Parts: sequence; C-alpha cells; structure tokens
Amino acid sequence: MAESNPARTALRVVDVDKYFGSVCALKKVNFEVGRNEIVGLLGDNGAGKSTLVKILTGVFPPTSGEIYIADKKVDTSSYTVKSAHALGIETVYQDKSLGEKQSLWRNFFIGRELTYPLGFLKVREQKRIANEIMVNTIGFRGRGISVESRASKLSGGERQGVAIGRAMHFEKDLIILDEPTVALSLKEVRRVLEFVHKIKEGGKACIYISHNIVDVYEIADRFVVIDRGEIVAGIDRGKISLKELDEFLLEYSHGLRDRAGS
Amino acid sequence: MRKVMRLAIAIGLLAASFGTWAADKEIVIYMQMGGTQGDASTLARTNGARAAAAANGVKLIEQYSKWDQQTMIDQFKQALAAKPDGIAIMGHPGETAFAPLVDQAEGQGIIVTSGNNPLPGIEAKYQTKGFGYAGADLYAGGYLTGEAMVKAGGLKAGDEALVYDIWHQEGRSRSSQGVYDALAKAGLKVDKLDVSAQVDSETSLGIPILTAYLQAHPKLRAIGTQHGNVTAILPKVLQAAGKKPGDVICGGIDLSPATVSAIEQGWISASFDQVLYLQGYVPVMQIVWTKRYLVPGLHVNTGVGTVTPQNVASIKPLIKEGIR
Amino acid sequence: MSRLLGILGRVEGLPVGVVLALLYVAFMIFAPTVFTSYRIYMSFFQTVPPMLVLAIGLTFVITAGEIDLSFPAVVALSGFVFTWCFETFGVAWPGVLLALAAGALVGWVNGFLVAMLRVPSIMVTLAAQFFWYGVTILAAGGLQIDIASVLSSPVHGIFVGRLFEVFPVQALWSLGLVVLFWFILNRHRFGQAIMFIGDNAEVARVMGIGVETTRIRLFTLNGALAAFAGLILTLELNVFYPTQGQGMLLPVMAAVFIGGTSIAGGQGALVGTFFGMYIIGSLEAGVVATGIGGYWVQLVEGLVMAASVILNIVIGDSGLSALSSTARRWAVGRR
Repeated sequence: MAESNPARTALRVVDVDKYFGSVCALKKVNFEVGRNEIVGLLGDNGAGKSTLVKILTGVFPPTSGEIYIADKKVDTSSYTVKSAHALGIETVYQDKSLGEKQSLWRNFFIGRELTYPLGFLKVREQKRIANEIMVNTIGFRGRGISVESRASKLSGGERQGVAIGRAMHFEKDLIILDEPTVALSLKEVRRVLEFVHKIKEGGKACIYISHNIVDVYEIADRFVVIDRGEIVAGIDRGKISLKELDEFLLEYSHGLRDRAGS
Repeated sequence: MRKVMRLAIAIGLLAASFGTWAADKEIVIYMQMGGTQGDASTLARTNGARAAAAANGVKLIEQYSKWDQQTMIDQFKQALAAKPDGIAIMGHPGETAFAPLVDQAEGQGIIVTSGNNPLPGIEAKYQTKGFGYAGADLYAGGYLTGEAMVKAGGLKAGDEALVYDIWHQEGRSRSSQGVYDALAKAGLKVDKLDVSAQVDSETSLGIPILTAYLQAHPKLRAIGTQHGNVTAILPKVLQAAGKKPGDVICGGIDLSPATVSAIEQGWISASFDQVLYLQGYVPVMQIVWTKRYLVPGLHVNTGVGTVTPQNVASIKPLIKEGIR
Repeated sequence: MSRLLGILGRVEGLPVGVVLALLYVAFMIFAPTVFTSYRIYMSFFQTVPPMLVLAIGLTFVITAGEIDLSFPAVVALSGFVFTWCFETFGVAWPGVLLALAAGALVGWVNGFLVAMLRVPSIMVTLAAQFFWYGVTILAAGGLQIDIASVLSSPVHGIFVGRLFEVFPVQALWSLGLVVLFWFILNRHRFGQAIMFIGDNAEVARVMGIGVETTRIRLFTLNGALAAFAGLILTLELNVFYPTQGQGMLLPVMAAVFIGGTSIAGGQGALVGTFFGMYIIGSLEAGVVATGIGGYWVQLVEGLVMAASVILNIVIGDSGLSALSSTARRWAVGRR
C-alpha cells in the first residue's frame, strides 16, 4: 500500500485524562511517538506507565482526550485491542506473549493463521515462513531449536525475540515493549536490546518501558518521564547524559521537584 | 363485642381444622427401593409402592441406594431423623448393622418392616409390632431357576456351566448360589465368574467378557445369572458368539423388556420372577395396617415362579406397564 | 537406547500403542483359543466405539483446560430422545437429528455457563450430570424402552450394522471420527485455539482468539459427540434404559489420561486416546480369558494404567532426561 503522504507520527495522544472513579491516574497527558523513533517511557511504580500503555493499545478508553494513529483520529469509544492490532500496534509482554507448550510455528501465527477455505491450517507454508523469520530476523543458530520446538525450550530472551520478530513480520508499525528485561540474564538483556535495534532498522517505531535506565539510555532516541499521572519531561538523548538522567529521576522519586518545570 | 365475636369465630375455625387434620393425618412412610430410579430390578417395586400409597392416602418418600449397603444404612438414619410413621428397609446391610438402628426406631414408635432381602432375627423380634417381610426367598428362587434350566435344556451330568454374578458381595449372590447348587446337584461342572464393579454399573461392558469366556470354553452348555441387567445382555453375547437359541441354556432374573424378548425368542429358558410389584405394595400396606389396626407383621413370599417361553405371552402386557 | 526412546516419545501415542500391543501379545500367549479367533475382536468393536467417541470429545475438553462430567447424562438423554421419537412416530432419521440436537443443547448450556458466567467447568458439568439424568428419568417415566423393531430400519444398518456379517460398523464410525478430529485438533484453526486456551487463556486472548466463543463451541461439540455415542449404544443394544452411560465416566476418563493427554491442558493426544480406550475396553475380557480369577482384574487394570501413565511421562519430552538427572543427583547425594 503506497502512501502518498506518510504520517509524521506513529501515534499521538492529546490531553488525555484517566479517572478510575474519583482517583486520577493520568492528567493532561500529551505524548507522541515518531514513525521511526524509539521512545523510552520512564517513571516509578504507580506513576501511570501501564495505564497510559493500556489506553494506547485499546484495553480501555481514556476519560477524555484524543488519540491519533498514523495521524488519523481514532474513535476512543470503539477502540479495542483488536482495532489496535488492525491499526498496526502490538504490545509484547514479558510473560504473556507465547503459549509455552506450543511449537514455535504455531506461536508465530496464532490469531492470524494462514488457512484454506474451511479453516484448515496451511501448515507447510506457516512452518516455512516461521523458519525464514527465525533464521534471518531473529537469528537462531544451532542449539537444536527449530520451528517445531516448544516455546518452553527457549530462554527468556529468546522468547522475547520470537515475540518481537513476530510483531515485526506482521508489520506492526508500533511495537510496545512492557518491562522486557525483568528477570533476564545479562546475555539475554543484550539479545533483547539487539532486537530493539532491529525494530529501528526496520523503519518502525517502539515504546520501551522500563525501570532500568541503563538499558533505556542505550537504545532510546528520546526519553519521556511520567510522574504521578503527568508527563514531566521529554528529553532527546543527545541533550542529556546517563548520569544527568539518573539524577533527574532520583529527584522525582524523592519528591524534590514539583511539576512546574521540564 | 364485635371484636370478641370475630376472635371466637377464628378460634373455632382453627380448632375445627386442627381436629380434621388430626383425625385424618396422612401416614408418612420412608421406603428403600433398591437400585436407581427406573432400573429393571427397581421399577416395578416403585410402582407397587406408589399404587399402595395412592390408594391409602400415604405420603411415600422413596430412597434409592444403588444397592450399596452403606448407603442403605445412611438412608435409614435419615428416615429416623424425620420421625415418620413407618420405614421399609432391605436386609442387604445385615442384621448386625441394622439391629441397633431398628431398636432405636421401634423405641420411638416408628413401624419398621422389610422386603427383598430378609432379616429373620429382627423380624422375629418385632413381628408383633408390625415387622414383616415381602420378598422372595432368594436362594430358593435361584434354585428354582437352576432347576428350570436343567429341565428346559435337557442338561446332563458332566455338562459345563457358568454362573456369572456379583460373587464379591455376599448379600447380592444368595440367589445365584441357589442357581449354582441346583446345577451342581444335577451333576454339571459349574464355574463361577465375578461381575466386576465396572460391569455392574455399565452392563454392556460385560459383553466382551462373556464372549471371551465362551471362546475359552467352547463346550459351555449353560449360563446362569441372577443379575437383572446381565440377564438382558445374554442374547447379545450368544449372537456375537455365533450361537443359536438352545445351543447354550440361559437362566436369569427379572423381566426387563430385553429379557422378555429374549425369552420369546428362546434365548433365555427361565427367568426368576420375584414379583417386584408386590415387594413394593405389601410393605406399604403392612405399615398402614399396623398403624391403623395393629396388625402384626406378615411374611409374604413373592418369589413364586419363573417366566418361561411357555408363559411369557400372557405376562407381557403387564410388563409393559411396569407392573410385572 | 535413548534414541529409540526419543523416537517413541515424539510419535504421538506410540508409548500407549506399544502397551496395547504388548497386552494383546500377552493375551494371545495365555489365552490362544480366545485371542487368535476373530470373535473376541468383533466383540470389542461392538462395545468400545461408544466410549471411544466419548473419549474423543473429552480429549478436546481436557486439552482446553476444562473438564466435562456431564457426558454420561447426554448418553442417556440422546438415547431417550431417539427411542421416544422412533417409538412414537415410527421414524428414525428425525430421531437421530433430534438426539444430536439434544446433546448439542446440553453442551451449549454448559459452555455458556462456563464461558460467560465463569463458573468452573467441574461444577457446571457435575450439576448438569444430575440435572439431565433427572430430566431423562422423568421424561421416560423410569421405564426402559425396547425398540427391537429398529433392526429393520436403515438407520440401524448404517450406524451399527455388520460388514461381511461380522464386522461392527460403529467401529469404523468411531475410527473415522478419531481421524477427523485429529485433523481438527492438529491442523485446524479451532483445534489450535483450543490448545492455546488450554495452555494459557490470557495469551490466547491477547493474541486475538475469541476465548469465550471457542469455549462455548467446545462444549457444544462435546455434547453432540456424547449424543452420537449414546445413539450408537442404544442402536446396538436396541433398548434404552434410563441409567445408560452411568458406568462410562471413569473408563473414558482413564482412557484419555492413559493416552497421554495432560490434565494441565494445552496438548491433546488423540492417537493415545484411541489406544487407551481399547486397552481399557479389552482388559477385563482378556484377563478373564486367561483364566486368572475375576478378583484379579481390578488389580491388573490398576497396574496397566500406572504403567501407561508412567511410560508417557518418562518417554515424553523431558521425562527421560529428568529421570536420569534425578537419579544421578540421588546417587551423588548418597556418596
């Protein structure tokens, strides 16, 4: 599908509020992700990161505000997970992305199977494509793992890789990674960061949510900090060092800054 | 003045209705039916009991124990707690288990009577208080069936026979022991095979087992049983083994539709009929008579014959109605 | 040796198949007159098919991480519906359709309660068991119904007739269903959805599978299969009795687990179920034929089941290596 006018942003939200009853979870959030940008979303526990992500991916609607995907406005009342998928947004969870007892080729195509008219799977084709992706994109070599292997045979990092590779294959324009490196070994974290690089290389966008600012600093183009339901900072990587970013975040967690500055 | 009048009328009406209620208070009876609702060895009994209850204004509470002894005991205790006018039991759990419970019931003025499986000691003890028995003498009935098999098939000494029944439960194998002894007395070589719990609950599973037995004993001339559902599958077994009616003489019990067809076609030579309808009707009547007219316990033998190809035609319509 | 076992582990159902084969070899050695003639096998092909059909449905249900205890009641209900229809109207085919529809209805109600109201399936189907047996007994007035005349109807010949005078056709029907449903489970979108739901329903949901719709379809399907089982049972015995199916609950469940389907869900071994059902169905007859006293049967049954289950686990994916590493650790610990 040729685009005559490519969108400027993959996703943009304007003045989003979210109330759960009388509790305010998000207030006047303005947030955007460029078409080929990796945004690191930082913030303490309970700051509102996952609430924001759930709104972006259609799990529940905002109380007020607007959502634009590929610069086109979306009807927030009818925006669901399925619609998010259809519009090219996919979330990769740490532990909810693969069926552990199922083989990799099934995991690749679950929910978007290639089938014959009566619903029977095109097994050979699916295995072929899955194998291609595995070898080329994700790069599994040796270790006796094939598309027939069960997902449980893969390490945590490898599983993340499969989920990311899957999202990329189905040409998701925006991939959201929710705490992807929790409980992974150093080698595995390396692997995940390599996959995220591939997202950028592939011309797509990514929101990377994490506590670990060392990882985020390495791969993100821009950092967005959220604190107590509000966006308090949006800083390009080039304009801040790791140490400065660290101090900046510490001050928020100690409550030493108020919200009036950026 | 008007208030007092109204109060008087109200009290008067209440007293009158209480009086009527007390005079014609309905008799409540708890009765053990045996297996499960609707199965071949329980249905006619249920119908008989219901008929007696309807004819006498009795409130009948039916209990189904799936022939499990412990369940029968538990259900008696439940009945006891409800303090009915009468309880009808079966003797499967045995006299030792039942004696203290019956003592307790009689002590509370509840009439207890029995059916299907006797409790001679308890019966003797409480006969004057209305403890009777309505059932077949199971052993004699089995023996009768065995004799009928020998006669119908011209079985000779030395012929091989099998009695397939629930040998692992003594209370349920009394009548099959009768079959065994009758066949043995006539000189046949009789073998026993136990009906497993699995086959007991799903009788069609017994077909391969009997088929296997038949294959392993090609000279088998007779199969006897006193298990109602097993009786019903005998013709299927013989057909699967390629036999014709009369090749293997069969004897069984009760009159399920399949058994009746089998008798008509000559697969089964004799089926012991313990007139289950009476086993239901009589205990209910017993309690009613004792309650109203202090009649002592009656011992009624309902096991009075076998149904054979010769007499099956006349009994058939009654069977359809669930009476025989 | 371990490579051989590896192959054994990868082909679905093979361990159980080996057990079945060994069992029959034993039977042939110890009871040659019975097991070298065709009659006993024809007898198995007569009695095992209804339970096999039930086991197919149950395999699917367990793969999806659920359980269904109500299928015996559907066996009775469908048997009644068919018999009543045949007796009252004298026509067989509408009876067949109505019986299948009745089973599907029971299944649909189960599925709705499980999927929409989120009542655990064990509770729903247990209650359904009692409820539908009650309905059947009530409707039948507690009576057995003999339908010997169905023998003349073509329905009888089609579903339970005898090929070449001896071979029970229901064995072919049940085998055909095993093959069909193997393809549905392993090569169809629906089967794959079932596996993922049983593996991790949340993953299935976020990947876009309609978890609720699939569950409802699953139980409805199981109801229809159970109805078919009841149909061929009733046709074969040409009598309906209100308690039919009651004794099938445990043997069918045992067959599914012997066959290698995990109680945890996510994987289903239909081939194993097929072999497992024939093991359970022929065990008692075989033991009786060898002349071992009938009281031994349950003991032998227990042993065979234990052997099959252990074999499945040991030969399965990680079983053998887990076993050897545990053994090694134990040996090291003792030094």
